[in-house]
Amino acid sequence: MQLATQPSGQLSTGATDRGVSRPVWLTLVALGPVTLVLGLLFGGACLLAVAQSLGFAPWFGINTFPDFGYFAALWGGGMFWNALGLTLYYGVVSTAVALGLALLLAQTLVKSFPGRALYRFVYKLPLMIPYTVGIALAVIMMGNGGMMSRLAATLGLISDPAEFPRLLHTHSGWGIIAVYVWKQTPFITLAIYAVLLGNGQEKEEAAAILGANRRQIFFGVTLPQIMPGIVSATLICFSFSIGAFEAPFILGGGFPDTLPVMAWRYFNDANYNLQAQGMATVVSIGIVAGIILFLYLTAYRNFERRRGRV
Amino acid sequence: MSSRIKYLTAAAALAVTTSSFAGEGAATFQADFLAGKLSWQNVVQEAQKEGAVQFYYWGGSDELNVWIDSVAVPALAELGVKLVPNRITGTKDAVDLVLAEAASGRGIGEGSVDAIWLNGENFYTLSRQTMLFGSFAQVLPNADNFEWDPADQRSQLNFRDFGVETGSQEIPWSGEQYVCAVNRALVSTDETLKTFDDLKAYLEANPGKFTYVKPPNYVGNTFVQEVVYSFNPDGTGSAPFQKSLEDLGVDELARLAAPGFEYLRSIEPQLLGAASGNVRYPEDAAASRGLFANGETHIHCEFGLFAVATNRANGSYPETAEEVVFPAGNMIKNKNYLAIVANAPNPAAALVFANYMASVDAQASKLEVIGYPAGIDPWKLSATDAQRLVEAAPPHFGVTQDELDANIAPDTNASLVDVIEATWLEFIERKATKPLAEIMASAAADLAR
Repeated sequence: MQLATQPSGQLSTGATDRGVSRPVWLTLVALGPVTLVLGLLFGGACLLAVAQSLGFAPWFGINTFPDFGYFAALWGGGMFWNALGLTLYYGVVSTAVALGLALLLAQTLVKSFPGRALYRFVYKLPLMIPYTVGIALAVIMMGNGGMMSRLAATLGLISDPAEFPRLLHTHSGWGIIAVYVWKQTPFITLAIYAVLLGNGQEKEEAAAILGANRRQIFFGVTLPQIMPGIVSATLICFSFSIGAFEAPFILGGGFPDTLPVMAWRYFNDANYNLQAQGMATVVSIGIVAGIILFLYLTAYRNFERRRGRV
Repeated sequence: MSSRIKYLTAAAALAVTTSSFAGEGAATFQADFLAGKLSWQNVVQEAQKEGAVQFYYWGGSDELNVWIDSVAVPALAELGVKLVPNRITGTKDAVDLVLAEAASGRGIGEGSVDAIWLNGENFYTLSRQTMLFGSFAQVLPNADNFEWDPADQRSQLNFRDFGVETGSQEIPWSGEQYVCAVNRALVSTDETLKTFDDLKAYLEANPGKFTYVKPPNYVGNTFVQEVVYSFNPDGTGSAPFQKSLEDLGVDELARLAAPGFEYLRSIEPQLLGAASGNVRYPEDAAASRGLFANGETHIHCEFGLFAVATNRANGSYPETAEEVVFPAGNMIKNKNYLAIVANAPNPAAALVFANYMASVDAQASKLEVIGYPAGIDPWKLSATDAQRLVEAAPPHFGVTQDELDANIAPDTNASLVDVIEATWLEFIERKATKPLAEIMASAAADLAR
């Protein structure tokens, strides 16, 4: 995935697109596979999910379409809003922390320092390791039977590993946030670093010569340049976090759960009537994600408009 | 029927394509077999023609998976049938698949699931939806290994699954008992638990050192059921919970279960994590085992007559774990079964598979290698075969087989289990303030819809 790198001159200046005319059928063939996958698999699943959330699940003996009762029951109860709050809390905090760390890391990486070549490789490691491994690491390191608590007990800081402050299985969710930050920091760093590399250091240097301080350089020169990278990378991370199931399921504090876990519990219930309720939960996650996406992109567009770039 | 056609198109997205000619032969076979027109020889021949059997089972145990691959698969290959293990994370997944396929119009012989390892609610769901192949368990050659005399009380486990009549639509595969283990390095013999009051006393002295698996996981449900039996205000233990919800009535269920639920509420402040404000109910037996192995909890309960032996050996229990007879007289024992699905694509092969699983060879090997107790009834076997089972059995630690046998109780009727688990979620997890009878009534009404 290439995130908002600046055109580098030779590669995509747009001249090739306009210069050589392609037959229409070739365009159709090229677009076909992706359209098919998106339209059938994604679009079809979306339609089916919406239909089920409105009471269309005859294979479980439910057919009251269109029935907004499942949404009414869901949104009318306090459980949903608690779950939504928790879901957004994990998503916002982990994305914000990861962004902060990524900004520091990316700006450090463009400068030269001893061991930079090695570091540039090492920071990307979590990108290649699956989330589930990260979750397992959190259990091994941060659990009350884990390495940190045992080490503390061995060193005599606490008398029993159980006395170690609980990091996992609480609603503060330090374990969940740690896993997301661990995995997403290199991802956001990669996006920002690519933009910084493409831009070079000249503008910052020019600003410094003209007397700008570091704060001014960052907010006036660097930040506007890397903004597209920040926006797309944080959006991807945030929407993943609020839709992800494993980390809050394994590391979360139990009831009240996040929305994806809540949906899973509905699907897993002996009561088949809750299938539609579960689907309404899933569709609600989609609606929430859609609203946030819209607001975020609108805010970003306004930012760019104020700067006169759009 | 026309509305059925409409959702077929939608559900087709869920389904994978299948051969359409499979149906006819399978339908004839099913009718002939159930009418008793086929000899076992015919069945075996048909099975070899079908070639494979799709077996769906919970794949969360390495020991079981290895046993299936290294013992069951070769044994069935010798009979000319390829056993295809489909490992799933929860048995309900297979049930959902069967229901979805049936709803998408896949009739006899056109499904993708042949046999499922299940019991309780999952059997109840399939039987309510009439998605079972039919009454086969008593006509297999190895049916002789089971007690089918209704006059013998011990035959009940072959006839009833969580209180629901099996109608021989499933054959017992294993018999399990809910056993609690204590870590002897932490719990002295003086502190050995016998009753739930002992547990409460232990927790008051050692707060946070116990928790149970979260319902609706069946391991959690069973703990709740044992509590409910033990606090039955009439002192009749498990007896009234054998009736179906219809026969017992919601109000009566609420009256009988109320003291148990009050007990569960009363121990909550002493469970794991309660001190820091977040009671931790592990999601499944494996998570609870992890807490026990780490010394975070001192007591751990799950299904497994030989779980202590197996899990001490594989390191998922502490080496100092021992069994306890707890709760005395109310240790739930049930059987689990192999069922054949109504639209099984390979019904004959499924029958051959079920028959193999009911053999003394398979049962003794399963007991020895993975410590799953025999589903066949030893008193129906020859002396030599019965002795094989005795010799194959893993050891017990701290208790004897006779003590464990003397304290059993039957499982709860499946129609009540659903209500009890929904009540737990509402009363314990969501801390509802409504009276228990009201919670149970609305749970029962929801389930009946």
